[in-house]
Amino acid sequence: MSGSETGQSKRPTGIAGLDNVTRGGLPAGQATLVLGEAAAGKTVLGLQVLANAVDRGEGAVFVTFEESPAQIRRDAASFSWGEALIASTSWQLIDARPHFGVEAAGAFDIEGLLSVVASAAETMQTSWLVFDGIDQLLQYQPDQRSAIEQVRRLDAYCAEHGWTLLLTGKATDERVTPAGLEGIEFLLSATLVLSARMVNQQLNRSLRIAKYRGSGHCADELPMLIDGEGIQLPYHEPAPDGGGVASDERLSTGIERLDKLLGGGIYRGASLLISGRPGTAKSTLAGHFAQAAAARGERTLYVSFDELEAPYVRNLASVGIDLRTPIDAGLVRFQDLAAYTARVTEHFLVLRRMIDDFDPRCLVIDPISALLKASATEGAHTATEQLIDLARRRGITTVLTSLSSEDDPEGEATQGQVSTLADGWIVLDYNIRSGERNRALSIVKSRGTAHSNQQRELLLSDAGIDLADVYEYGSEVLMGTARANREAEEDAAAQRRERERQQRRVDLERRLEQADQERQRLAAELALEQDQVSEADRAEATRRDTIQQRRDPDQDNPSAPAPDDTSHDEGQSS
Amino acid sequence: MNSDQPTGEAPLPVLTLFVAGSAPRSERARGNLTRMLAHIGRSDLHVHEIDMLAEPQEGLAYSVFATPTLLKMSATGAIDALYGDLSEPERLQGFLGDLAEDS
Repeated sequence: MSGSETGQSKRPTGIAGLDNVTRGGLPAGQATLVLGEAAAGKTVLGLQVLANAVDRGEGAVFVTFEESPAQIRRDAASFSWGEALIASTSWQLIDARPHFGVEAAGAFDIEGLLSVVASAAETMQTSWLVFDGIDQLLQYQPDQRSAIEQVRRLDAYCAEHGWTLLLTGKATDERVTPAGLEGIEFLLSATLVLSARMVNQQLNRSLRIAKYRGSGHCADELPMLIDGEGIQLPYHEPAPDGGGVASDERLSTGIERLDKLLGGGIYRGASLLISGRPGTAKSTLAGHFAQAAAARGERTLYVSFDELEAPYVRNLASVGIDLRTPIDAGLVRFQDLAAYTARVTEHFLVLRRMIDDFDPRCLVIDPISALLKASATEGAHTATEQLIDLARRRGITTVLTSLSSEDDPEGEATQGQVSTLADGWIVLDYNIRSGERNRALSIVKSRGTAHSNQQRELLLSDAGIDLADVYEYGSEVLMGTARANREAEEDAAAQRRERERQQRRVDLERRLEQADQERQRLAAELALEQDQVSEADRAEATRRDTIQQRRDPDQDNPSAPAPDDTSHDEGQSS
Repeated sequence: MNSDQPTGEAPLPVLTLFVAGSAPRSERARGNLTRMLAHIGRSDLHVHEIDMLAEPQEGLAYSVFATPTLLKMSATGAIDALYGDLSEPERLQGFLGDLAEDS
């Protein structure tokens, strides 16, 4: 209720986003002007603030000047908190609609009204008052000065009693002044402006704090939603606690070789963006991640934009990824959403509620770029940024896919912002060569990781994704058939070289053999020659001995033949 | 919680003036009404007065929140209301028209 930089007392509205951007609520004991065109949500805001007050055990008074009490109750009943509010006795609904056909003859004051409100408020621990459509009463004042004087009186009266007042007024165009009560905005210490604009045929609401005297506040136009829970400022709710711890734990992408390229996987609590043109296997990669998470026993919230659950799961099954089992086991919650059916703000709110409800450890959004199709005044980037931030703070590991256009494969134009926020960015693409499209994967960015910067070929089979090292050929990388061809050529060349080596060895061996045979032949020739030479020598020696014996007849030679051998004598004598 | 336009628990007198104590506008309305009734020759009509500061629930019952407010109950039970201090004689006379002596 208190606590601001000026020590100003504030009263929480119970609308988390509003209390967050006003740093505690609206000025306590003072009036806040709520301006807006018809159907901008002024009455809902008042009712919701009251419902929250009543829920906290406080009392409240709602004074309606325009809608009937029955209509106000119907308004309330369409919200989740409406039933409890209608049933509660700690607030009062006062019908202060002017009489039908009423006229005025002179100026009047609202002392009677204040008296009625005081008598109602005093019976309860009243903290909040809502005056809805007081211009319906004050329009009967003969001049504007009297009307403004009544608002001043009302403001003072509330301050005396410590009531915090919401005073609604009709805005025309974008002016920060209520029609018929011009000038009261200067009187009151805070002004909220609600607006509703059509963007792509869808109503986009916003809330702006046009004035908050003496308090810091967010002055931007804040995207606002009205759904079954009432008014929401989805992007401005207080951030969840924690998330400051950076985990060293690596989570598998479900593809072993990709994990290696990423230095072990994705850090827990980090976010990975997978972008690529249609058919580059983004969903398959995302499916691998979810399957791996389920295998670890971790819950994954799996959001598919624009593709329904049944065909999505079937398509993944065709590449060997089983999401059906973890879905049935409650480990994967699959949510298909149609991007174009709702505003970006609504999608964000739906996703945040699912995260709150399912409390997943892992989150897949396929594709986040579908949000660009949804209408928004604030643009899809706000939602994406907020989503990444939310997941990070909760320690949820996130895989986002993003469809890039045919002419802009890396999708810088559309995903620039997401890729800046995400911790990792994988770009999938085709490599077209020799009449073939081959899927290629490259890691553009991976925070906190010495990642591989080389492109890989992504192989898709009925067993899922695998990565192949690309074939480097000079300055090119080759994939698919080109890679296979090049590899085959290389193989052939290697075989040829081997054959040539063998042939040369055979040749040399043969020549060595031939040389060997020649040597043997020569050796044999040499040996023969030596034999012949020694035989001749021996014959010569014998002949010489014989001659000598014959030339020496006196020599007694017992071994000599008998002298009767006359032929010898005759021979010797001749 | 008060819901529908009240019809009043008891039939109101023909004229009822809702005032806020002795606030200046309420005082002026008293005087203006008395003078006008005299002017149209109906000083005989009793004006019932409700002080909303003392009886706020009466305001709630008749859906009167502006002070002063003059309520006129017609013979058919319909209630007409006139806000303000009755400082515009033509309007007041028009409002009281059917009560005038000669009508």
